[in-house]
Amino acid sequence: MSSPLLEVCDLRKTYRLGHVDVPVLKGCSLKVDRGEWLAILGSSGSGKSTLLHLLGGLDRPDTGGGDIRYEGRPLAKRSTRSLDRYRARTVGFVFQFYHLLPELTVLENAMLPGLVPGGIGGGPARRRVRELLDRFGLSHRLHHRPRELSGGERQRTAIARALANDPQILLADEPTGNLDVHTGKEILDLLAEAHRDGLTIVMVTHDQQIANRADRDGRLVDGVLGPAAAAGSAQSVEDSPTLA
Amino acid sequence: MYQPLLTSRYLMTRMIPLLAVAAVALCVALVIVVISVMTGFLDMIRSSGQTLMGDVVITYPIRGIPYYDDLITKLQSKADVKAATPVVDTWGLLRMPYPAGDAKESEQVQIWGVDPSSFSQVTGFTDTLKWSEIPSDTAAMMRWDRMRDRAPALVASLDIPSKIRLLQESAPDEVEGAEPSVLRKLAENATTEDLTKRMLHLTWAPEKLRVVIGDDGMRDFDSFDSRLGDSGLVLADGRSLQRNSRPAIVSGLHVSKANERTSTGDYAISGGGYWWMPNHEATLTTLPIDSRGGMLDPKSIVLPFANEFASGVFLIDQTRIMVPLNIVQDLTNLDAAEIVSPDDPTRVVGTTPAKATMILVRGQNGVDPKQLRELVHNTYGEFESACASAGRNVPRLDRDPGLRVLTWEEQNASFIGPVEKERELMRTLFSIVYLVCGALIVAIFWAIVYEKTRDIGILRSVGASRMGIVWIFLLYGLFVGIFGAITGVGLGWLVTVNMPGIHEQMSHPPLWLGIAMLACAGGVILWTALQLRSGRLLPLLLGILVAIVLTGMGAGELLIRSSGGIVLWDPAVYYFTDVPDTVDWPSAWITALGAVICSVIAAAIPAARAADIDPVGALRYE
Ligand SMILES: Nc1ncnc2c1ncn2[C@@H]1O[C@H](COP(=O)(O)OP(=O)(O)OP(=O)(O)O)[C@@H](O)[C@H]1O
Ligand SMILES: [Mg+2]
Repeated sequence: MSSPLLEVCDLRKTYRLGHVDVPVLKGCSLKVDRGEWLAILGSSGSGKSTLLHLLGGLDRPDTGGGDIRYEGRPLAKRSTRSLDRYRARTVGFVFQFYHLLPELTVLENAMLPGLVPGGIGGGPARRRVRELLDRFGLSHRLHHRPRELSGGERQRTAIARALANDPQILLADEPTGNLDVHTGKEILDLLAEAHRDGLTIVMVTHDQQIANRADRDGRLVDGVLGPAAAAGSAQSVEDSPTLA
Repeated sequence: MYQPLLTSRYLMTRMIPLLAVAAVALCVALVIVVISVMTGFLDMIRSSGQTLMGDVVITYPIRGIPYYDDLITKLQSKADVKAATPVVDTWGLLRMPYPAGDAKESEQVQIWGVDPSSFSQVTGFTDTLKWSEIPSDTAAMMRWDRMRDRAPALVASLDIPSKIRLLQESAPDEVEGAEPSVLRKLAENATTEDLTKRMLHLTWAPEKLRVVIGDDGMRDFDSFDSRLGDSGLVLADGRSLQRNSRPAIVSGLHVSKANERTSTGDYAISGGGYWWMPNHEATLTTLPIDSRGGMLDPKSIVLPFANEFASGVFLIDQTRIMVPLNIVQDLTNLDAAEIVSPDDPTRVVGTTPAKATMILVRGQNGVDPKQLRELVHNTYGEFESACASAGRNVPRLDRDPGLRVLTWEEQNASFIGPVEKERELMRTLFSIVYLVCGALIVAIFWAIVYEKTRDIGILRSVGASRMGIVWIFLLYGLFVGIFGAITGVGLGWLVTVNMPGIHEQMSHPPLWLGIAMLACAGGVILWTALQLRSGRLLPLLLGILVAIVLTGMGAGELLIRSSGGIVLWDPAVYYFTDVPDTVDWPSAWITALGAVICSVIAAAIPAARAADIDPVGALRYE
């Protein structure tokens, strides 16, 4: 079998609060194969978002704090520019609080990644995003501002944005965390559909129920990623104590 | 490129950038107006400098340059010299014709003795002459005076048809529609007294008088002052410094207190036209100084006025009078004279030639004044050596520090200097205004960056680079700068070209403006009262503030109006009698460009901060 798409080895991340070091990730390892949907469970403050930001190249681990390899190439060795490009083309973020730009319309928000250097360009992005929004049932909302939308509609816009540049990996940080159960399910259905089309997804949640939608899940406890505790988990986790 | 999209959206959807645009626009407009006015001043000084004294001047005050005719001939033989003219300048007292009675007023004046024909070739003197004909009020008054003597004789000479015309012209209503026979009767029965009164009355309407006494009669009547019959004479008198073949004065327009500048920029002659100077005479007194610097007996001469001149430079129009050269030479003892033996006052041992204290030189068009000065300097050198070989004594360039060859600019340095300094001062002061404007932009953009922190995190998460973020705000600053600069240039242009109009409005504030402002204030108060019900504080506060400002401005306007307006442009303060009204375009564009650059630089500070924002931290915002 080919090497994993994303491979994380002994990842460490420490925040400094004043004079106190707060270690958040203390040697976290995981592998994500191409086309896989991985859910990471963890209580609040366990460092789930931190892990996702690191995977997405938005933040850097501690010096000497392990590395993240995408297709075998360490992110740490990349230049700032190449990292910008990685964020633009390879990964797409979905956040709990949608994070849309209030001044832009739904269409403009969604196609924004197409416009940054390294994006697929305004024209192609517009076509692709229109199609996605159409599929997500937002074609009548294209020229609305985010504040005129419901939470579910906003999150669908955010997903369309994350997919605008046709990335390899979708990094979803509690994508349903701010939505009711029903709307949350709709969003998960969208992710499932994208996953069926071959998208790799790393999703973070604190809800076992939601994690069950993924192919596989792991639990982040004490800064270390281990197998999900819940015995009823639909997926079998490999024998290894870590998810690596 | 996502920056233009974001920049335009940030610009369109908020009010703060408008504030920044307004700040830039006001700064630019302010600088343009001030610099344009100052440049207008300088240009006026420059052109008036040349108008008044040509390009280069040789000065040797008090004692004067002898044999100046030879010097002028030498100067005029040079190809680059267009003309040269001698001037004697001195100070004196002018006893004015006003007020009526014996206690007349005197003015201290700078007397320029000039040779009118060559003086006009060197300077723009003839173009500055104020009066091209007798002002109509003055003419009427002169005719009325004359009519008082002549009316009985004139009435006696009138035939019946003339009398009928007199009745018709003097009181058209009374005789309207009257039968010819009735008119005839009326004319025959009219008393001499009544007809005299009517004749006097008609002097105020010369055209009607002409109808009554006919063209010949009018010519005959006006013959007491030849200028009434031939209006060109007034100018001709001014040009030749003569009146009725007598040497005469042409005085600066502000020398006579009888010429009052009205708030519209025109001149009103006091006494209803009576104190029109070219109708009067004045006594000119000087204190000549002998060769050792001692004071001699005062000399006086009575001279009529021929005309008045308005150079546009208040300082000069207020003090200078032009008098024929030989008169002033006589008054200052610089005329040609015989030298008598100290032992025997009846024995003539020689003559001293007439002298001039200044020689004004005008170059051919396009000759640089500095170059011309060199030429004049060298020519004086030739003159000096020629005189030396002829045994004539003339002041020498290397021995007499009082003898100087200067360009008009150097000669007027004391005058041009302050205005140039003022302009520099203004530039410096207003660069501080730029700093304030820049600080405002920094503050506004800082606030925008703070507000947009989360957006910046989002942009970074979709792949925007730090430089990309910087560009958003630089572009923002560029747009604010460009909009502000264009608006500012437009505003500055509007204000500058309307300067005379604005000035006039200031001196005659229109009633409607005050009323309109008060009405607006009333409207705002009403609106505020309606807003009271919503219970919101901001509209209330804004409404009250705007109402107070409007009421204050309206009331102030009405107050100024009731006190007769303010003459902002008092010529006594501003040297010039006209308000500059042309935009100094090169300076305007430089100002606008400066504003754009300042805006971009000011925007760069918050932009750098935006680039430094940690995207992870920014995304934690909620
Ligand atoms: N910039 C930072 N500076 C200091 N501490 C930080 C910073 N970012 C995160 N932390 C700390 O790191 C820990 C992990 O944060 P993280 O946001 O990754 O948790 P999480 O698992 O996503 O929690 P939640 O489920 O509430 O979103 C928290 O204790 C948080 O206080
Ligand atoms: Mg989180």
